[in-house]
Amino acid sequence: MGRAINKYVIHNLLTLVLLLLLLVPVLMVLVQWLLNAGKINAISFLDRGALLLIVNSLLLSATVALLATLIGTACGFFLYKTHLKGRRLYLLLLIVPILISPYIFAVAWKDLLFLLFGSTASAFSTAGVIAVHTLIYFPLALLITGNALTNISSSLEEAGLMVTSFRKMIFKIVLPLIRPAFMSSFLLILVFSLGDFSVPAFFGIKTFTVEIFTQFSAFYNYDAAITKSLLLVGVCLILLLSEARYLSGAAFFSISTRGSNSKIYEMSGIGYVHHTSFAILIILSMLMPVFILLYQSLSGREIVIDSAWKLLKPAVFQSIKLAFWGALLISIIGLYAGYWQERLKSPFTNVLLLILFILPSTILGIAFIRFYNQPETGFIYSSLFIVLLGYIGKYGFIASRITGNGIRQIPVSLEEAAEVSGVRPVNKFIKILLPLLSPSLFVSFVLTFVLCLGELGTTIMVYPPGTELMPVKIFTISANAPQALTSSMALISLLITFFFIILFFMAGRVMFKKNSDE
Amino acid sequence: MKTYCLVILTFFSIITSCKPTAEEVVVYNSVDQVFSEPVLKDFERETGVKVKAVYDTEETKSTGVMNRLIAEKDNAQCDVFWSGDPLRNNILISRGITAPYQSEETALIPAYFKDKENQWIGFSARARVLIYNKRLIQKDDLPKSLLDLIKPAYKGKFTIANPLFGTTTFQIASLFAILGDSRAREWMQDIKANGVIIATSNGDVKKRVMQGEIAFGLTDTDDAFEAEKESDDVAYIFLDQQNSGMGTLIMPNALSLIKNSPNSENGKKLIDYLLSKETEAKLAVSSAQMPLIRGTPLPTNVPSLDAIKPMKIDYNETSKVLEEIQPWLKQWAEQ
Repeated sequence: MGRAINKYVIHNLLTLVLLLLLLVPVLMVLVQWLLNAGKINAISFLDRGALLLIVNSLLLSATVALLATLIGTACGFFLYKTHLKGRRLYLLLLIVPILISPYIFAVAWKDLLFLLFGSTASAFSTAGVIAVHTLIYFPLALLITGNALTNISSSLEEAGLMVTSFRKMIFKIVLPLIRPAFMSSFLLILVFSLGDFSVPAFFGIKTFTVEIFTQFSAFYNYDAAITKSLLLVGVCLILLLSEARYLSGAAFFSISTRGSNSKIYEMSGIGYVHHTSFAILIILSMLMPVFILLYQSLSGREIVIDSAWKLLKPAVFQSIKLAFWGALLISIIGLYAGYWQERLKSPFTNVLLLILFILPSTILGIAFIRFYNQPETGFIYSSLFIVLLGYIGKYGFIASRITGNGIRQIPVSLEEAAEVSGVRPVNKFIKILLPLLSPSLFVSFVLTFVLCLGELGTTIMVYPPGTELMPVKIFTISANAPQALTSSMALISLLITFFFIILFFMAGRVMFKKNSDE
Repeated sequence: MKTYCLVILTFFSIITSCKPTAEEVVVYNSVDQVFSEPVLKDFERETGVKVKAVYDTEETKSTGVMNRLIAEKDNAQCDVFWSGDPLRNNILISRGITAPYQSEETALIPAYFKDKENQWIGFSARARVLIYNKRLIQKDDLPKSLLDLIKPAYKGKFTIANPLFGTTTFQIASLFAILGDSRAREWMQDIKANGVIIATSNGDVKKRVMQGEIAFGLTDTDDAFEAEKESDDVAYIFLDQQNSGMGTLIMPNALSLIKNSPNSENGKKLIDYLLSKETEAKLAVSSAQMPLIRGTPLPTNVPSLDAIKPMKIDYNETSKVLEEIQPWLKQWAEQ
C-alpha cells in the first residue's frame, strides 16, 4: 500500500510542483477575492452592461476566429495538399504575422492607411479590430489545419474519389476529418483574440479585456478586475471544456511521419489564381506592416538603426537566453502533461495548464507578485525564475497539446510490443517514445521559444529590477522615442525572431532528414 | 551525467545572476526610459551604487509599476518611485505605500511642488501644451484657451489622449478643480459634441499631429519638444496665458521614498541626487523639462517656469477630484 502511494507521488511529482508553483498563487488570489466578495459586493461588477460587453466581445472574437480559421484552412489545403510551386516559401512568409506584436501590427496598419489614403477613420472601428486580428491569427489556423490535412490517410481520399466528384469528396470526407483541427483552431484563436486588449484599445473599441485592463490601470481596482477576469476565465473554460474532445483530438501543430501517406493533388491550369491570392495575402499580412516599419525606420532625420541596435543589444542576449530556457522547460512540461493526458488518461496537468493559458496576463502577474513576494520565496521573486514561471503559465498548454497530439499518433502497439519483450518502462520511453516524438518536441520548442521571446503581458509585471528584456525595452522606449527609433527597434526584434525561425527550420531539416535516412 | 550537471548548473546561473548586491537601489520608474535611464546611469557611475530599475511609462498607463507597488505593499522591493506627475504618488500615499523624506536637497524645492508631509517631492516640471501642424493651421487661428475648443471653427480638428490615463487625466482633473464640477462636465460634453478625437496616448496625439492627420492636439512639453525635433511642420503654444486666463497646467516629476524599503539609505541618496540643479539641467536638455530650482541653467529652446502663467491648483486636492470624477470620465470616454 505504502509503496503504491510512493509510486503515485513520484509519478505525480511534477504535477504537484506545477500545482504549487503556478496554480496555488492563482488560487490564493481567488481565495482572497472570495473572502472579500461579501465586502465588495462582487455581483455589482457584473451588471447588465458587463454581461452585454462580454457577449459583444465574444461575437467580435468569434468573427475573428471564424475568418482566420477559414483563411488558414484554405491556405493549409493549398500549401500542404498540393504541389503548388513555392509553397515552402509561402508557408515561411505567411507565419511572419505571428511574430509581430498585435499592437505594432495595428499601428503599422493605421499608419499605412494614412500614407495611402490620408485617412484612418476606417481603422477605428470594430471592422478594423477584426481585420487586424484575423491577419495576425490566421497563420495559427494554417498550421493547425494544415497539419491535420497531412494526417488524412490517402486511402480514404482515393476511395472517395472513386465513387464521387472531387468537390463532394472534400465536403464529405476531408472536411469532416479535419473538423477537430478546425474546432481547435477556432477556439484557440477565439481565446487569443478575446485575451488581447492592445488592438481594440488602440482602435478605441471597448471589449471585455479592455474593460479589465482599465479597471487595473486607471482605477487600480483589483476586486472589479478580478471579478471580471473570473467571468472571462469562466466563459473561456466553458467554451474550451465543452469542446475538449475536439481540442484533444485535433492534430494541433503536430508533425507526423504519417504525413508521408497523405494524398497530394496536382494543380490544374488555374495556378496563377492561387499565386495571386497568396501574393495578396502575403502583401496584406506581412509585406505591408514590414514595409511601413522599414519606411518609418528610414524616414527620420537620421538613420537610427545603429542607435536602436545599441539600445536593444543588452536586452537581446538576455531575452534569447531566457526564451531558450523557457522553451526547454515548457517542452519538458508539455511532454509530461501530454503523456499523462494521452497515455495515462489523466487530464489534471493539462487542465491546470489550460486554466493558466486563458488567465489574463495581468492577473497571472499579480498572483505571482502576491505569492512570491514573501521572505521565504523572495529568492524566486528576485530572480529570472519568476519570468520563466510566467512563460510556463502562458504557453505550457500549447506545448502540452502539441506533444500530446504527437503521442496520439504513435501506435500504442509499439510500446506494448516493447513491454511484452520485457523492456523497462524507462527504456521504453527513451528508446521508443522519445525518438518518435522528437518532431513534435522540436515544434513545441520552436513555437514556445518564439512566443517567450515576445512575451510582454506577464513579463512586465514581474521581471526583476535591473533586468533588460527585449519586449519590455521596446515597449518602454517606444513611448517618447522618435518614430524612426521605435520602428527600427520593432524591425530588429522581428528580424531576430525570423533569424531564429530560419535557423530552427534549417536545423529541423537536417535533424529529421538524418532521422528519416536512418 | 556530466551533461545533466552542466545543464542544471547553467540553468541556475541565470537564477543567481540577479542576486542582490550590497550597494544597490531599486527604483520603479514611470518616466519615459529614454530620458530617465541616462540620469540613473550617471548616478550609478558617480556614486558606485548600482541602480536596479523597473521601467514603465505613463504613455502605456503605468500599469506595470503601479500594480507592482500596490501588490508589493506588505513586502516592499522598491526603494524609490519616480513618477512623471504627482497623481500616481498620491494614489500610493492613499494606500499607505510611501514614507516621508526630508533633507537639505528637498528644501531646495518650492513648497508648492511638494507634498505637505514630504511624501512626494517634485522636481523638473513639464507643462500641458497645444501642439499643432503648421501646414494645417496658422498660429493666429489657434485657440488661446482650453475653453475655446468648443468653438465651431475647431470642429473635428483636434485630439486629446484618453482622459482616463496619463497626464491627460491630470489636466482634466485640474480643469474640474478650477471650473467646478458642472461647468467642467459641460465643457467635456461640448468638446465631444465638437468632434474631439480621442487618441490612445499623448504619443499618439503627437504622431497624428506630426503626420498631418489632425490640425492640433493637447499633449506635454516633452512630446512637443520631441515633435519639433522630428518635424519642421510642428510647433507648440501654451494655452490660457492671457491676464484673465486660468494658466497652463504644470506637472512636476515626483519622487517618493517607499515605506519599509530594503535599501532606504541608498534610496535617499538617489532622491537627493535627483533633486539637484545638475539633474534638472540634464532633463532640461534631454526632454525640455523646466527646472524648479532657481538658477538652474536652461537651454535657449526651453522656457523658464517664470515665463509661463501656471494654473493655480493644489496637487493633492486635484488627486482627490480625480478619484471622484474617474467613473464619469470613463463613461464620457466610452460614449
